Amino acid sequence: MATDAPGQRTFLALGGLLLAGLLVAFLLPKPVEHRTEGRIQVRLWHMWTAEWKTVVDEIVARFNRSQDKYEVIALSVPGLGGADTKFVLAVAGGDPPDVMAQWNPVIPSWVEAGLLQPLDAFMTPAEWAALRQEMYPVARKIGVYRDRLYGVTTGLNIWACFYLPAHFREAGLDPEAFPTSLEDLFEVGAKLDRFDGRNLTRMGFMPQLFGFNVTLFGHGFYDETKQEVTVFTPANLRALEVFAAEQARLGFDNVARFQAGINQLSFAAGWPFIGGHYSICLDGQWRVEQIARYAPELEYLTAPLPPPAGGRARAGFSNGNFMVIPVGAKCPDGAWEFIKFWSGIENPERAAEIYVMGGWLPLKPAIVQAPAYQAYLRKYPQFRTFVDLLSSEYIQVAAPVPYTSYLADRVTRANDMALQGLLSPEQALRELETEVRQEQLRRKEFGYVD
Amino acid sequence: MSTRSNAHKLVTHAVLILLCLPFVLPLVWMASTSLKPETEIYATAAPANALEYLGTLLPARPHWQNYPDALRTVPFATYLQNTLILCVANVVFAVLSSAVVAYGFARLQFRGREFWFMVMISTMALPGQVTMIPVFTLFRELGLYGTFLPLIIPSLFGNAFFIFLLRQFFRTIPEELAEAARVDGASEWTIFTRVMLPLAKPALATCALFQFLHTWNDFFGPLLYIDDPDRYPLAYGLQQFMSSYGGKWAQLMAGACIFTVPIIILFFFAQKTFIQGISTTGSKA
Amino acid sequence: MKRQLTGYAFISPWLVGFAVFALAPFLISIYLSFTRYNIVTEPVWIGLGNYRNLFLHDPLFWRALVVTLKYAAVAVPLGVVTGVGLALLLNLELRGIAVYRTLFFLPSIVPVVATSVVFLWILNPQIGLVNGLLKALGVIGPNWLGSPDWAFPSLVLMSLWSVGGSVIIYLAGLKDIPLSLYEAAMIDGAGPYHRMRHITLPLLTPVIFFNLVMGVIGAFQYFTQAYVIMNGTEGPNDSTLFYALYLFNRAWRYLDMGYASAMAWILFVVIIGITLFIFRSHRRWVHYGD
Repeated sequence: MATDAPGQRTFLALGGLLLAGLLVAFLLPKPVEHRTEGRIQVRLWHMWTAEWKTVVDEIVARFNRSQDKYEVIALSVPGLGGADTKFVLAVAGGDPPDVMAQWNPVIPSWVEAGLLQPLDAFMTPAEWAALRQEMYPVARKIGVYRDRLYGVTTGLNIWACFYLPAHFREAGLDPEAFPTSLEDLFEVGAKLDRFDGRNLTRMGFMPQLFGFNVTLFGHGFYDETKQEVTVFTPANLRALEVFAAEQARLGFDNVARFQAGINQLSFAAGWPFIGGHYSICLDGQWRVEQIARYAPELEYLTAPLPPPAGGRARAGFSNGNFMVIPVGAKCPDGAWEFIKFWSGIENPERAAEIYVMGGWLPLKPAIVQAPAYQAYLRKYPQFRTFVDLLSSEYIQVAAPVPYTSYLADRVTRANDMALQGLLSPEQALRELETEVRQEQLRRKEFGYVD
Repeated sequence: MSTRSNAHKLVTHAVLILLCLPFVLPLVWMASTSLKPETEIYATAAPANALEYLGTLLPARPHWQNYPDALRTVPFATYLQNTLILCVANVVFAVLSSAVVAYGFARLQFRGREFWFMVMISTMALPGQVTMIPVFTLFRELGLYGTFLPLIIPSLFGNAFFIFLLRQFFRTIPEELAEAARVDGASEWTIFTRVMLPLAKPALATCALFQFLHTWNDFFGPLLYIDDPDRYPLAYGLQQFMSSYGGKWAQLMAGACIFTVPIIILFFFAQKTFIQGISTTGSKA
Repeated sequence: MKRQLTGYAFISPWLVGFAVFALAPFLISIYLSFTRYNIVTEPVWIGLGNYRNLFLHDPLFWRALVVTLKYAAVAVPLGVVTGVGLALLLNLELRGIAVYRTLFFLPSIVPVVATSVVFLWILNPQIGLVNGLLKALGVIGPNWLGSPDWAFPSLVLMSLWSVGGSVIIYLAGLKDIPLSLYEAAMIDGAGPYHRMRHITLPLLTPVIFFNLVMGVIGAFQYFTQAYVIMNGTEGPNDSTLFYALYLFNRAWRYLDMGYASAMAWILFVVIIGITLFIFRSHRRWVHYGD
């Protein structure tokens, strides 16, 4: 049978491949897992990878040593690859982790979908009232929704300017006199730009993250006093115009090419600021820890992003890391123990040692006062800029509405459109307004909670 | 005359080689990147001309270390094992169940046969998005979320395309062979397992191969149903690797090679089945 | 009677699978499309609300539909033209032609996720292969996947790279054309162009037709490549917001299962519609030989 040959051969090939594959798979070394008998397992999902994962593993190991009832098992579920979706699927599928470390503004939509447990239920009313008093305003904005606690922050992130004094001096500027208005900052930034022909080789300062820094101009996309989403406001329009104008000055293509080239290196040691690609760079406080690790010799300073004329000083954005416990968690008590351990609700001294491992900003002032944190501040005075911002009422978080990821996705698009000159800022903001209004109308009409 | 036809041939070869380049270069580059040290990848010294640039495409010296490094960064061995488990289960189940059903449609007489066959053919047009949410809730109610089972169980019930393919094949087998066995008192099941299945090997091989490729490549299934990183298959693990270690190109390409090379090896061994299978797919219209 | 039972016994695996994994979900999904449902709490009936909103008030729905139609209108025909062109070339009698066939075919068996990862690397604006080659030729390449103008063409390019599978199908179609037809045409004095125009292409139309239908259906379910390359996002300026991607986001990111079910139903109807349309129009141009 001539036709038989290819069939036979294919089966042989498939079988051979399977055997070889299984052999390889079994022979290759696999990560060893230490699981202790007799302890209750607590599954933690987090989105950190690479060197951050190591920090998390160390914190988890400390927790496991600190008591003998629970064993936390940390699983890294990378954030960019859709960790939020994964979490929703896992809760909906009935196999959720016990606790997840998040940094996206997911609390409102997940609470409304019935995915999260209120965490104040793990405390006495007196404890909850006390914690609520002590928490930094930002931590409260992030974790409290509909008057209940759903997320405990274990490391707030705040953005400010990192800058290189060497570049300042080289351009004849005084590094100690950091610009005090956004307009001045742009001017200084322009003086620090460097070109090779038409190609940008170094960027003085590029205003990024419009969605974040719009709060310098006004209350941004959420009016906290009126508790409503605001899109087309004069302040937002002005912010977008200012940002777009800066982008247009250098030429979008030029900037895009410049950024695309260095972004590939933007993690860990290759952060472009360390490499001197930016003179002034807006970034989060955790970079202090990274510079200490990868470029300890680097001379740099930090300063808050200054407000525009008539804007709000000490304003900004925070999207801290926080812990949530899903509905259906098998061991919520163990999860809560772990949250207390890391966040420092109970033992600020011990927690301070954890916070400094990742260069994170704490939940409440008592942790800043702890010796370990004070020592860290003495060691890295640059960090003080961020701690000082913690108490500001003008640090905003993502709008606490159930459609906040939709809002964020749409703000990103409006931002891209305007900054690439594809739409005028006004038009981009108007389209954004339409998209958001439609979503609000739909939610209202069909009885979604808002 | 002969020199003219030779020139003609030469031009054709030249055209073919030129057209080949865009198809082949990406693969070459994937392999060569996986063997370059990071420093060489990021060396951006502008080459003087295209030829010199082509010269830098290959690694100066193969840097095999990327492979063990990649295996250390993420547990590719675990992923490979998961993929293979899924492949074995799906190939065995899908091929056998499809063969049984196809035999029923091809050789047995019963009322409603044509109707059910038409229904089966039309299910092929049903997009997965329509059934995605109810099927997900079904597996959740069964408590199977997070296990391999949602990725395997559907294979137990036959695959419409394989059933179609095998039915066509069974119909070409002469009826006399089955008749002879029937006279000897064999049951339909015996005829199916003893007479038909051995004869259907080429068609079964095509189905096995296609199912293997499908499971090997499947990204959406694990995206929906697998949450524990210890159970990621290669396709999903590679995407996760990319989204978390985006800049580690050498290791990423090493991962892509680990994922791709077995398929290419398989192709060289089972070339005929590949080609035949694909051509049959196209001519069923 | 026994014969009936034996028959049904043989097809029973499929029958059960059909009921559980196709028919029931199909019906449930119709119901869900008339509800507001977040998959955790019970669905709430809202009548035609989802549909009305999609058609009248959802700019993203239309944007996603346009992106998808654009893909069906650009990538699919381009794939057919490239596929047929290559098949004609690879059908030549030439020493070593088998090697060329293999080389053109190989990319099509590279797993989709690997292809996406490789293209992400090739199209890296700074140190990727494509811009590297362009730079060597003195051209500054675009920011491919990061640019609203080039992200979509990049995905089309990627789909063309995997055209090898359909080349095999066209080759098989070419082999099926009886040589006698060509011989007869030669006797009538038809030149190569004439033979191509009046024999090869007409006789290849059934295969082209099949690929067209499959390509269009595939375009409407196009997901993995866009998801992997854009990391689950809509791409710059929504330029790669494919229908299936928006549907997925609505379901699993915004937790709107009812809304997503309505989208799935619209998708189903569109696919059926397009398939029927192509089947109806095909009599005009598909030639089924004699």
